[in-house]
Amino acid sequence: MGAVWLASRAAVKRRRLQSVVIGLVVLFSTATFVVALGLLAASSAPFTNAYARGHGAHVVADFDMTAVSGAQLARAAEQPGVEAVAGPFGKAVLTITENKAGFPFGPLTVVGRADPAGPVDRLDLWAGRWATGPGEIVMNRPSGQGLVPRALGDTFQVPGGPLLTIVGFADSVSQSAGAWVSPGQIGALHPSEQQMLYRFKDSSTDAEIRSGLASVTAGLPPGALVESQSYLVLKRAFAAGPGAYVPFLMVFGVLGIVVAVLIVANVVSGAVVTGFRHIGVLKALGFTPNQVAAVYLTMISVPAIAGCALGVVLGNILAKPLLSGAFQGLDVPNAGVGRAVDVTCLLGVPVLVAVAALGPALRARGLSAVEAISAGSTPRAGRALRAQRWLAGTRLPRPISLGLGLPIVRPARVALTMAAIVLGVITVTFATGLTNTMVAYGKAQEANGAVQVTVRAADPGDGQTARRLGDSETEGLLRSLPGAVHVTAGSYADIYLGSSQTTDAEFLRGDSSTLGYLMVKGHWMNGAGQIVARSDFLHQRGLAVGDQTTLDLGGKRTQVRIVGEFLAGGFSVFCDWATLTELAPDQQATDYEIQLAPGTNTDAYIAAFTKAAGTGLNATADTNQTSVGTVVITSFASIFTLMLGLIAAMGVFNTVVLNTRERRRNLGMLKSIGMTPRQVTFMMITSMVPLGVIGGLLGLPVGIIAHRLIVPASARAAGIDMPASMMHVWHAPMLSVLALAGVLIAVLGAFIPARAAARLTVAEVLRSE
Amino acid sequence: MLRCMSTEDDTAGRTVVRLDAVRKEYGATIALDGVSLEIRSGEAVAVMGPSGCGKSTLLNMIAGLDRPTSGTVVVDGEELGRHDEKALARLRRRRIRMIFQFFNLLDDLSVLDNVALAARLIGVPAAQARRRAVELLDELGIADRQSRYPALLSGGERQRVGVARALMNHPVLLLADEPTGALDSKAGEQVMGILMDLHRAGQTVVLVTHDRDLASRHANRLIEVADGRVVGERRLKPTQ
Ligand SMILES: Nc1ncnc2c1ncn2[C@@H]1O[C@H](COP(=O)(O)OP(=O)(O)O)[C@@H](O)[C@H]1O
Ligand SMILES: [Mg+2]
Repeated sequence: MGAVWLASRAAVKRRRLQSVVIGLVVLFSTATFVVALGLLAASSAPFTNAYARGHGAHVVADFDMTAVSGAQLARAAEQPGVEAVAGPFGKAVLTITENKAGFPFGPLTVVGRADPAGPVDRLDLWAGRWATGPGEIVMNRPSGQGLVPRALGDTFQVPGGPLLTIVGFADSVSQSAGAWVSPGQIGALHPSEQQMLYRFKDSSTDAEIRSGLASVTAGLPPGALVESQSYLVLKRAFAAGPGAYVPFLMVFGVLGIVVAVLIVANVVSGAVVTGFRHIGVLKALGFTPNQVAAVYLTMISVPAIAGCALGVVLGNILAKPLLSGAFQGLDVPNAGVGRAVDVTCLLGVPVLVAVAALGPALRARGLSAVEAISAGSTPRAGRALRAQRWLAGTRLPRPISLGLGLPIVRPARVALTMAAIVLGVITVTFATGLTNTMVAYGKAQEANGAVQVTVRAADPGDGQTARRLGDSETEGLLRSLPGAVHVTAGSYADIYLGSSQTTDAEFLRGDSSTLGYLMVKGHWMNGAGQIVARSDFLHQRGLAVGDQTTLDLGGKRTQVRIVGEFLAGGFSVFCDWATLTELAPDQQATDYEIQLAPGTNTDAYIAAFTKAAGTGLNATADTNQTSVGTVVITSFASIFTLMLGLIAAMGVFNTVVLNTRERRRNLGMLKSIGMTPRQVTFMMITSMVPLGVIGGLLGLPVGIIAHRLIVPASARAAGIDMPASMMHVWHAPMLSVLALAGVLIAVLGAFIPARAAARLTVAEVLRSE
Repeated sequence: MLRCMSTEDDTAGRTVVRLDAVRKEYGATIALDGVSLEIRSGEAVAVMGPSGCGKSTLLNMIAGLDRPTSGTVVVDGEELGRHDEKALARLRRRRIRMIFQFFNLLDDLSVLDNVALAARLIGVPAAQARRRAVELLDELGIADRQSRYPALLSGGERQRVGVARALMNHPVLLLADEPTGALDSKAGEQVMGILMDLHRAGQTVVLVTHDRDLASRHANRLIEVADGRVVGERRLKPTQ
């Protein structure tokens, strides 16, 4: 082992440039892996996972303090269908009248809780500490919001109550409260309600949630339940918002891994291919084949392991803001890379490098000593000479004709360089296309259901205060208030659609066609008996646009036809109101979505409505549509494109360095016969240009084809059909820039080593052989 | 002066190398065409012939660096054809050492490490290997170059490093392929002198050279090769 270590240590130390390049490529590749794997881990059923991790509440229910006691609530919750329960916690609503970073303007729901853990709704206390004493409050904010921790220490004077100071920030997957104080402190805030958090054994449909809630409220006095929130509402909001991006983010993750593997393999085999003479000498000295392979594996592993360790650190630094940005709408607790990802990368990347090195190392092992020495020192002289002579006969300037001849001398090396350039161009092309598709998708997504105000009716079935205004009066009022342009009324229900499985559906009335859901196929509903369905739902059920099927609502049936397929949205199916009228004539709309004229003051509209409508109808401004915008997606795509481009350029750089090292003697001779350094630089760069041109021409179509195949395929894997319009992302100016990317990568990669070669003095070069 | 490197109590005349109808083809090229010869312990054999006649190929066969297409090679009692690559490597470490026209030093290693590496390969502890390497470099007059890297040495100095490396493990057989071919005449004379000192001390040497004068002055047997065949053989002086 002594001799192997001696030889490999010397190679690592003395081939500093090669070691640095291997280290850097592995570093950036590992960082890409970390981000990509972190992304894949977070993207696989992100909502369900986050909810399971945080033991999120399936129902958050508020009860009137005067109508029911805590002991009664606890006893009522002892039901076989209840998996876990927490509470009762006192709940008060404050109205914040000043605007500070920690206390934004508006109503604030405060709950008294002794600690952030517990059987249900485990909070992620990500900044500061828990509120334990008087005057202390912990605010609910998604983790990773950079500015927020500075708001620690902000205070708010409750009128006629205590002065509250922010001591921490926590994140609740169940969105159970806006803030928390200690149970001792809640009394001073005049609580009127108590909060119960339930987890049910059966919780996948609205019906199951409803029956779960009914079981825990069965023995309670009527009117005790003031308000309840099902987690399925949160789940739908996620599906319509950030969840819709998941399949595209996953493509980037997989692409990152593939490119990193290929470039690492390329760089590693380059190190072995250029080491042939060295290998021959080791063999002549008496190194056994296994020892030679060991020298090469060690020589590559040392910088690779260092690069891997640093790459994990860099990846974590990059992943944290990217992931919490991407899943902002979800408030994923601890958004970031898990320890499992770090460990996978720390162990997996060195194995990957070893596997990449193994092929070439085995080749080194198998070469006979004589072959190795001669392969390393004498290029195929005949072919090279013929090529040089032919080029010299052309009218090209001397440095160019010499430069163009270089690649012909070493076909294996040229193949490696070409592979690096082609990979680089494919990556840049594919990433650009994917980014554009995602931007198009993001735009469609933001336009999707773009409403400014939502009105939701309280549910008297859950014991809440009934609405004062009837359905048609509500709609009339909403339309009559100044600023209203479009009003859509809706009512949701679990239906059966030609299957024994329930389906979440909303029946729509009014201006539903203006909600702007992006259609993949067919058209929006325009008559009775028509429904539209979400892309993933159709795939799951094996249905398609044009199909006729039976819709069952509460045992009554009718025939409907699927007339359109939309890309993304909160419900699986939208149905025409006429169908509801047919099956349940008395059903009222419970939800209203209002689109206002540009410039209308949303708050004023809400205030006017609330004043006229009275109790039982809650109007809220719709702001969450923009939470995950194209910005996050674009930044994600840009970071990936940049990192992958960098890795590819380094692959080229490495190959050119190796080329130059080998050509040094020739360069020295050319200089000794009077070539200037500038001409030498020019020659070395020229030698890479044809590779860049060919690489660009090969890589561009492959990148475009990859985009055309992979993007829809991954969308389909997620159960979505891509609308064709989102695939038309190419235009001539962009294509010509991308075609030049190969030349750019090649010239940039060649510049530094070419300059270095040109600067060497003749004597230095000729000696070094 | 250099001490005798062959430590065993050789009976002069023991056969060290025997080639039997060795043939080597590289594709269509026939590099060796049925070569048979014998070299005895203590001999200094010069192999001569025009460029491209197969001299290097012949030495590579003896060193086990390459395998014959047909025929057998026996070195120090071992038939090389029966050995796998690993066993051949072991044989090269200790018993058969070679010196090359273009030195073939490892550029990454200092002069001292280049020489010591040979001993490290047979498991000699680092400190001991370095001690012996310094001794040899000293005897060859380049001890002051020990911490330099090969790229900074003159050709003559590099070849002396090559010789020191070859001698590290007391080889039974020393092969030299045009060791003076890349050197000026003065450096060439010096390297040749070192090899002949070794021969006088009992080292078996096979030397490929172009220089007839050099060969006839130093060798005790001369083998002429042309077109891959042995075409002449002459005994110059008795084996020492
Ligand atoms: N590795 C090889 N591959 C192909 N041909 C070779 C190889 N080594 C030597 N030859 C050919 O074999 C013949 C003998 O070469 P060599 O033994 O090097 O000659 P010498 O050393 O006498 O100049 C030459 O024609 C040479 O071109
Ligand atoms: Mg030769």
